[in-house]
Amino acid sequence: MIPAWILDIFAAVMLVVAAVSAVRLVAARPWRQGARRAALADIDVAHLLMAIAMAGMLAASLRTLPNGAWSVIFAVLTAWFAYRVVRDAQVSGVRALAGGHCAPHLIHAGAMVYMFVAFTAPATHGSGGMSGMAGGMSGMGTLELPSLAFVFALVLIGYSIWDLDQLSGPGASGHYSLAVARVAPSGAVLVGVGAPGGGGPGAPGVSALASDYGGSAVSTDPAVTSQAPPAGAPGTMSRGVLAPWVATSCRIAMGVTMAFMLLIMV
Amino acid sequence: MSEIAAAGARPAWRTKLGAGAEAATSAPDLRRRMQLGLAGIWLLVGLLQYQSFMFSKAFSQMLAGTASGSPGVVASPITWDATLVEHHAVLLNTIFATIQLLLGIGIAWRRTVRLALAASVAWALGVWWFGEGLGMVLTSSASPVNGAPGAVIIYALLAVLLWPADRAGRPAPFTAARAVGAPVARALWLVLWLSLAYFALLPANRAPQALNGMIAGMESGEPGWLAALDRGAASLVAHQGLAASIVLAVALVIIAIGVFLPPQAAKATLVLAIVVAAVIWVVGEAFGTILAGGATDPNSGPLLILLALTYWPLRAAVTAPARTGASAALAGTDEGTAAS
Repeated sequence: MIPAWILDIFAAVMLVVAAVSAVRLVAARPWRQGARRAALADIDVAHLLMAIAMAGMLAASLRTLPNGAWSVIFAVLTAWFAYRVVRDAQVSGVRALAGGHCAPHLIHAGAMVYMFVAFTAPATHGSGGMSGMAGGMSGMGTLELPSLAFVFALVLIGYSIWDLDQLSGPGASGHYSLAVARVAPSGAVLVGVGAPGGGGPGAPGVSALASDYGGSAVSTDPAVTSQAPPAGAPGTMSRGVLAPWVATSCRIAMGVTMAFMLLIMV
Repeated sequence: MSEIAAAGARPAWRTKLGAGAEAATSAPDLRRRMQLGLAGIWLLVGLLQYQSFMFSKAFSQMLAGTASGSPGVVASPITWDATLVEHHAVLLNTIFATIQLLLGIGIAWRRTVRLALAASVAWALGVWWFGEGLGMVLTSSASPVNGAPGAVIIYALLAVLLWPADRAGRPAPFTAARAVGAPVARALWLVLWLSLAYFALLPANRAPQALNGMIAGMESGEPGWLAALDRGAASLVAHQGLAASIVLAVALVIIAIGVFLPPQAAKATLVLAIVVAAVIWVVGEAFGTILAGGATDPNSGPLLILLALTYWPLRAAVTAPARTGASAALAGTDEGTAAS
């Protein structure tokens, strides 16, 4: 039997992720940009919903919605991210199916659907669905199709490890790095350190970055970089909770927690 | 349209949120990718250690069981350790799991990769003794099909071979040679795979029903498809213990000497190594029995595959790079970490 306090720690981490995601959404105010663009706040919305759901799965007292409601919500999110991944693949090529920035979120959403649908409560908990799990996990239900749980866990671990590497990497400026990235007045992201492999603007690495920015450009040209406003000035990306590395950190925490939940219910 | 102008078309709030920005990459080199593979396995092991089974008495009984058949000098500390774990199961198992989780995270985080790899060697050696009874190599029942010489010792071996440094001098013909040099790397490979061949030929493993019993014993608690696979494989080797052991041993010897052959032949033997490791992992180890619950690790199969990849001949042999300021300071991994 897993001690309840271990599950509570993971639940607390999820609550932090939920709070951070909520603050990011409030600070960025995507709804002011119109419905179509607001829909693109998908990643923070997904983080918020998944973190709340997982906290409820880990600790009974944090349970919010019925299991059926969560299943529907995550099925919709899965469909949305599947659409985004296909769009990414059309723009950036087949590699985006696994390496695009929406691919991990598709896996996260899919894993959530799987957990809610495949959960089997232990016999002593009756057929209470996920309430058996929330009752809590230390009462241990299991997942049907454990092979699928294992596959999901492996993929989640893989993405988490990759994110950790990229977050700590020397070429992570402006995206993963804890370092400051500057944004030009026009909105272009200017990277002060050369891209891996030393590619300049137009090099493959830079093109890839540009496409990941949804058509924006990344420049390594010192002349252009010098025109950027100083760090901390209006227009910088280094605005606390809105910095991209915060979202990536949330994703890592969520991926590891989700893999943990899948493995302990195999 | 200039790149800057194109950038201006993006909604400002999306830049704030960093949507899309997270995917930017600083592509790791081959050795770094392998380190990440090792990190992933450590993370998996750490998470598996949090399973409810590990907090029960069954875990300490499993530890005590590894002492069986080992000499007293090896068995006594294992028995002491198992007793300690039995009395402090929650505390000690939480510590074990967290250490392994941190090892995975530490290897994946570039600034701590050296510390984590060094710690993983020490931890792996400890687990090899106290958790795996030295992989049962001092007993008569060690078999490559059930994980000998102990999966965890391969973690230590990988940590050494993937150490983020490059030897000055001759270029490394494969990734595993970058830190320790080709002769040492080849010698380690030879010892590992020849020892596996030796274990395959032990009397206990070449008995008519030995391999059959080993494989059939894995099906309990496994999903239907895997249990069926195990049943099928077991029936293939029924009463064929000697022949199967000889075939396996010959394959393992070929693999052992493969890294001394020219690159094309070496690649063929490495493919054989990957295939053999995959078959062992699926059929002999049932994915480390993870799908049946209660597994502490994925067993030796994936580690042998990762190890084989570290010996894959490189198209252009790697020479020790010159230290460059930014990358060396930040990475602590591959770039600019040539040993002087």
